[in-house]
Amino acid sequence: MAILPMKRIHIYALLKDRKSILELLQRFGAVQLADLEEDELFIKNDITDSKMQTERDLALAEEALAILASHVPEQTSILDSLKGKREISLDVYEEMGSKSKEILNTAERIQNLDKHIAECTAEMHKLQVQMDTLAPWSRMDIPLQFQGTRSSSALIGTLPGEVSLEEILAKLADLIPEVEAVHVDIISGNKEQTNIFVLCGRHDTAAVEGALRTMGFARPSASASNLPPAKQKAELEAEYKSLVQQREEAKSEIMSCSDQRDQLKFLIDWLHMKLERLETSSYLLESKRTFIITGYIPKREADGVVSALQSRFLVHLELEDPDEDEEVPVLLKNNKFVESVDGVLRSFSYPGKGEIDPSSVMSVFYYILFGLMLSDAAYGLIITIVCGLCLWKFPNMESSMRKSLRMFFFCGLSTTFWGALFGSWFGDLVTVVSTTFFNKTVTIPPLWFEPIKDPMRMLVFSMAMGVVHLFAGLALKIVQCVKEKQYKDALYDAILWYLLVGGLLVLGLSSQQLIDILNLDFILPANIGRIGGIAASAAAIGVVLTAGRESKNWFKRILKGLYGLYNVTGYLSDILSYSRLLALGLATGVIATVINQMGSMGGRGIGSAILFIVVFVVGHAINIGINLLGAYVHTNRLSFVEFFGKFYEGGGSEFAPFGVHTKYYKLKEETNNG
Amino acid sequence: MGDLGMFFALSGAVLAALMAGIGSAIAVGMAGEAAAGVVTDDPSKFGKVLILQLLPGTQGIYGLLIAFITLNQIGVLGGTADISLIKGLLYLVACLPMAFVGLWSAIRQARASVASIALVAKRPDQAGKAIIFPAMVETYAILALLISILAVTGVGGISI
Repeated sequence: MAILPMKRIHIYALLKDRKSILELLQRFGAVQLADLEEDELFIKNDITDSKMQTERDLALAEEALAILASHVPEQTSILDSLKGKREISLDVYEEMGSKSKEILNTAERIQNLDKHIAECTAEMHKLQVQMDTLAPWSRMDIPLQFQGTRSSSALIGTLPGEVSLEEILAKLADLIPEVEAVHVDIISGNKEQTNIFVLCGRHDTAAVEGALRTMGFARPSASASNLPPAKQKAELEAEYKSLVQQREEAKSEIMSCSDQRDQLKFLIDWLHMKLERLETSSYLLESKRTFIITGYIPKREADGVVSALQSRFLVHLELEDPDEDEEVPVLLKNNKFVESVDGVLRSFSYPGKGEIDPSSVMSVFYYILFGLMLSDAAYGLIITIVCGLCLWKFPNMESSMRKSLRMFFFCGLSTTFWGALFGSWFGDLVTVVSTTFFNKTVTIPPLWFEPIKDPMRMLVFSMAMGVVHLFAGLALKIVQCVKEKQYKDALYDAILWYLLVGGLLVLGLSSQQLIDILNLDFILPANIGRIGGIAASAAAIGVVLTAGRESKNWFKRILKGLYGLYNVTGYLSDILSYSRLLALGLATGVIATVINQMGSMGGRGIGSAILFIVVFVVGHAINIGINLLGAYVHTNRLSFVEFFGKFYEGGGSEFAPFGVHTKYYKLKEETNNG
Repeated sequence: MGDLGMFFALSGAVLAALMAGIGSAIAVGMAGEAAAGVVTDDPSKFGKVLILQLLPGTQGIYGLLIAFITLNQIGVLGGTADISLIKGLLYLVACLPMAFVGLWSAIRQARASVASIALVAKRPDQAGKAIIFPAMVETYAILALLISILAVTGVGGISI
């Protein structure tokens, strides 16, 4: 249980050191900057321009990387996400940083090449269309827009459908009998259109063209070139070829840049860091020669940062405790066992102002409840081994990923423990295999009992577990109240409820009726039950008197008190809610049994052994997946709703220091956020 | 009359698998549509929305579970099948909580899931809370499962 104490730090320094100081603070990653008020002397510097420039550069670098990836795909595997960021030393970082301009030029070149490829492709498409329209005319040795000579007129174009020379001449003779000299040539034709060349006397042009138009004549749309189609096509082809070559060259040039991928990645990180530095300017107050930064720093980091700053720069530093009513960002520090549930806690909320860190108690119960829900020893071992191997093989992993894997590692251990107690190893695998294939019945006996054979016992155990969990929550409520010196609240809101719920439980356990229902093999003596009853009644009266204590009016107060007492049903439903431990535990076991049974339906023999193995692998893989999800979700629910409901509100904001937030690399220096 | 007992017992098992299965199929389908919409926009959210899609799928599994326990109890999966009429009816009734609650809670849970998927689409950092809302609905499916399990295993012990 540890929320790290925070200090407020004020840094006063010279403007000429601004860049270096910001870089140093960024590498430390220990200060969360806070807002400052502007005044006449100190104002915030407007750096929108350089920020926009950096954002543009960043977009350029990211685009270049994407282009490179589309031409030379990167070898990736699922395990890559576990590898974490590559480390580089400060020297390499600075050396690469000084080359950022060059890398940016490379990025720009890649982008231009990609643009060029796109242009070439578009142009090639256009040429292809032109060549296609020219193709039918290639037999003709005069240019397409040839109009005729001084005394003759040429009409070049297409007629719809397949038409023979005789048909055209007959039609023309029909339509314009007065025109005598018409020469028609069919250049080429297919089912869709017939390409014709018509020559006539100049004075007949209008009449012939009119007649042709009634037959559906149209001039081709192709080019304004005055070369014959065949030659024109050859020219286009040459152009096309050169475009193909240009495109290939551009492609191979991009591919030749593939060795610069790492540099581009570095550039992206470098620009991200620069952008984050620039973004601090909204917290920075500047005068002509000096500037001020203020922010929160964890107490244990303060000395290091102070001495580093003082030894390198001319600065004035002030450290002070934050004010009582300040919303201080929260940073938690716990041991590895506890810290692993950080992701779950964070997804609820960090402790709010004045609240205790619930991680330690929560983590213990989290592991226990998770194990109870999954409760298969073999599944637990698989999870433990997989998580353990990943943790061992990839030491460089992101810290949040590492925490989650470690959480599942512990959950797996707990699952193994409960599974062994309940005698479930891949369900009843050993029994099924031994009876089906070896004609002998071997069972792994449970160390405690089998829930499927005695569900009532498991139900009682689940609810008992729930009572322990809820009472632990109430205990934390007391700790919380004591910490804030609200002893009365501790008495009214926690201890009275202990007495009430505890007393009712004792009373219940001394009644024969309940014992019969729950199938228990012990009963509390009637005397103790009576004491429990008295304690519960006294506590109930206490609750009625105190639950509405913020109201001054006695009538209102008692009404609110009665409503407060109604909350006892809340405890009942909270306890019943833990029956999901039984249900989910049984679900795992029964589905595993179904899978084993399906696999063994083939009987004995090689074929059925193969069937069994296939069903076994697929079935149990699915079962692990589904029940892992179920156990995770419902352990979260029990933690968030039942457990946190007793004492924890959250609402704190997470400590988010100004630091290095990169994608591909991390600096090998001391940083607190990897 | 013994045959009729078997008929009712088997109907119970089948109803549990049938109705809870239908519920989950509808539910996972609904949530899947919403999830696919989110992934078109941002493929990196696949993992988060997949979990939300799967949540209302558990009712079908619970139904299967009840069906299986019942089949086992009444001896359909090997063993002697001798169920009196009244016992068969008892099995049928015992399966009903899972059948009905499975059907309705799956669909209702899917609606919570769809809303949570929309939540994750807008605020991916709140995925932890988004999972809790559909999980609240599932509580009732679990309670029904519990009663059905206790009832089905309990009926086996009654000698009528």
